[in-house]
Amino acid sequence: MKPLWLTALCIVIFSGALHAATLEEKVVEHTLKNGMKLLLVERHTSPTVSAWIRFRVGSVDERSDERGIAHLLEHMLFKGTTTLGTRDYAAEKPLLEKIEATALELMSEKAKREKGDKVKLSELEKRLASLEADASKYVIKDEFFEIYSKNGGTGYNAFTSRDGTTYLISLPSNKLELWAAIESDRLQNAVLREFYTERSVVMEERRRSYEADPESKLWETLVASSFLTHPYGQPTIGWMSDIENLTRTKAEQFFRSYYAPNNAIVAIVGDIDTKAVIAMADRYFGGIKPGKALPPVSAEEPKQAGERRIELIADAEPTVIMGFHKPAILAEDDYVFDVITMILGNSRTSRFYKELVIKKQIATDVGVFDAPGSRFPNLLVFSANPRTPHTVSELESAILAELERLKVEPVAERDLQRILNKLEYEEARRMGTNGGLARNLTEYEAVAGSWRYMTDYRRKVEKVTAADIQRVAREYFTRENRVVGFITKKGGDSK
Amino acid sequence: MKTFVIALITVFSILTCSSVEAAQANPRTMKFPVLSFQIPAAERVVLECGMPVYLLRDTELPIINMTAMVRVGSVYEPAAKAGLASMTGALLRFGGAGGMASEKMDDELEFMASAVESSIGGDMGTVSLTTLKKNFSRTLQIFSDVLLHPDFDQKRIDITRRQIIEGLRRQNDDPKEIAGRELGKAIYAGHPLGSEATFDTVSRVVRRDMVEFHGRYFRPENMILAISGDFERAPLIRELNEVFGGPVENGAVVLPEIPQPPQQFKQELIFAKKEVTQTVIRMGHLGLTKDNPDIYAVRILDYILGGSFTSRLTMEVRTNQGLAYNVASHFDIGRRFTGTFVAETETKTESTVKAIQLMQEIMRGMTKEMVSDQELNAARDYMINSFMFGFTSPASIVTQRARLEYYGYPADFLETYRERIAGVKKEDVLAAAKKYLKPDLFKLVVVGDAAKFDKPLSTLGSVRELDLTLNIPR
Repeated sequence: MKPLWLTALCIVIFSGALHAATLEEKVVEHTLKNGMKLLLVERHTSPTVSAWIRFRVGSVDERSDERGIAHLLEHMLFKGTTTLGTRDYAAEKPLLEKIEATALELMSEKAKREKGDKVKLSELEKRLASLEADASKYVIKDEFFEIYSKNGGTGYNAFTSRDGTTYLISLPSNKLELWAAIESDRLQNAVLREFYTERSVVMEERRRSYEADPESKLWETLVASSFLTHPYGQPTIGWMSDIENLTRTKAEQFFRSYYAPNNAIVAIVGDIDTKAVIAMADRYFGGIKPGKALPPVSAEEPKQAGERRIELIADAEPTVIMGFHKPAILAEDDYVFDVITMILGNSRTSRFYKELVIKKQIATDVGVFDAPGSRFPNLLVFSANPRTPHTVSELESAILAELERLKVEPVAERDLQRILNKLEYEEARRMGTNGGLARNLTEYEAVAGSWRYMTDYRRKVEKVTAADIQRVAREYFTRENRVVGFITKKGGDSK
Repeated sequence: MKTFVIALITVFSILTCSSVEAAQANPRTMKFPVLSFQIPAAERVVLECGMPVYLLRDTELPIINMTAMVRVGSVYEPAAKAGLASMTGALLRFGGAGGMASEKMDDELEFMASAVESSIGGDMGTVSLTTLKKNFSRTLQIFSDVLLHPDFDQKRIDITRRQIIEGLRRQNDDPKEIAGRELGKAIYAGHPLGSEATFDTVSRVVRRDMVEFHGRYFRPENMILAISGDFERAPLIRELNEVFGGPVENGAVVLPEIPQPPQQFKQELIFAKKEVTQTVIRMGHLGLTKDNPDIYAVRILDYILGGSFTSRLTMEVRTNQGLAYNVASHFDIGRRFTGTFVAETETKTESTVKAIQLMQEIMRGMTKEMVSDQELNAARDYMINSFMFGFTSPASIVTQRARLEYYGYPADFLETYRERIAGVKKEDVLAAAKKYLKPDLFKLVVVGDAAKFDKPLSTLGSVRELDLTLNIPR
């Protein structure tokens, strides 16, 4: 080894010797002048790096005529820019404009339903197909993907939730600059080409993920029935008729309103030099102008005043999902709900498992989680399959009995300690992968206002007492705060 | 590990230098500093009892992970008792061990935030452990009891059986699950890998079967360990020797001879009715094993045909025609037994036959003409440049090493992998496609609402309709 490297080497070995540094010590935080937030962590386990960009915009930010656009836009942002994904943008652009004009005309004719002009419809459909065929001659298909892949990039993907939208990739660490080049180009010069074909793909995604799977269909219906006012009720992917009416014009508008550096949180975790990465990020993203601040979501869900019950008759065995309204992340009671989640479910020492799965054998499993997002008041959800011959209603009663027990019987000290022990392990484990850590950093920075939510978490949970659990159980696990959904097998009785 | 760290430093330095240049680079033509990647090694030691152990110490996190791979599998269970292996696998952990009742074990492990899990698959059994360093010794004790001294508590056996039966009752709820299962059965018909647990076979399994099944295979001379994390080498080896004991007298376990699945290729069309708006389509046939020298050409073929977002299937079925969200194909290279080729998609009911025919056409295309230089290069570059992602955590490095020994891969498999991929030519890909891809001899499974299909399925050949109620417990 050349002496030149020696200083750097010593630093690495020294920091390696600092045994198990905490997350607090590892994260380097930096905000570019335009408001783009960088969260960087050096990990030299392998010569790889994960880069995640989270935009503080999800389906919860959509207007009613835009439902599904956050997710469809996420798909569209893989289609290239004015220089990537195209052979000749100048020649392609006028065709894209014609496609949009034709598609808008076609949709407004379709909106007339039976009063629509059938001949005109068919002409418009033909014209759209022919224009799309012309435009496709200029397209270099999925060039982002192609470039990342040939450079060894893996896990190139994105996901949209109610709360936000995230774009992710892992790369060999010598190629991080490629990420900066592509992502800064995408943020400034995205071209939403092949829009209407991709809209069909999203319709197939909807059929696959919700319509053909009875449990997901029940879930979607339950969430929609739980939020009458708040946009948490609408599915992120949109209802089918929502998707059918999305346009490139709407997607571009949404893109321009929300995809600005001041709405972006970047986490880069792995084999990096944080100073060099900050300089590189500034070079590629620093010149992008900040956008407007996000308008707040003004809708507020009125307090539910009676049990809501949803039945889905399906070609599937019975299942039950039960939700209770609860506050958003950062509320003091949210930590109590997290403790309740761990007391009731998701482990072999949990009450649902011990009572319902092992002792009564009334269920095959019981899931406990909160959904459909975290930024706003959400639901604590119990989801379970009854084991034949037991019925949905028996299972429902058994779940409710456990909730009643939480109200009257203080949780044992040992149970609370077990949860804290688990959190100690999780704190260590979650630092073990680049992608996992990047996910958590971007997610908590976005929904909790700071990634430090993670480092404060155990201290917060430590303060939760047995009395808090009883209080919260009494306050929230009530009939009027409850939503119950269940599947009845086609041809069977509602039990 | 140390040479590995040194290699990385060069990268930072070059990266720092290059960042002085202020320009923004063009993604199409960007050049990168050289990254010298050496495959991280794991140490192999042999315990006094003869058990090989792969070790990789890493102190980043105060955690230790451990996996035992046991030469066992569902291929060794009698067809009349299908389900025996997976039940045994579950009950190692679930049925108590070393005289400790399951409830007590759950409580003790979870209070330490440790986990011990067990399972038996087609051709491998595993017992794994994860724990904070401070709780390692106690967790190891429980791990070794689960592995070597399970109690198979009768009550827990009954619960497991009832859970499996409930699972069987629910096995037709999700159309994707139906299609995947039925395709596997059709491809491996007549072989233990194609056998299926049913109400009857699961009901026949008794405790004695599990005790015997475990006793025959779960022996120190029949397993490999992989351990990674924050341990001290010498004390760890001492502890392992204490747990697993001295030299074994009885010699190697003799595994029953299981023949390879018969190489029969014959088209079969299988349909199951579900009233859904989207049809599930699965098609495939037998593939090849890791011992076949053509696997490198097949890997390239796989990437180009249906293994990436820019594959031919995705490009045409999804990107160009918008017929599906998910479309893919994959040669699952068999390690002990001949693997499979499977292509899959889901499309709206009205485009069912169109999608099937389009996929078959694309696959036939692979067998007729050579792939382009661009396709070949894209596939090779991806596989070579992303190779390092197989080694991102100490746990994945040691389990990979142990798995290679378990399945008897050549000693230089990892070291020569990239060269072999780089050596694949267009002619090799075409030859592999002709030899291993048989688009006219697929087992094709279609689950959906046939009345609304664009064309009758019988356009494609004679159809066998499944009765989904057959294997449902009353």
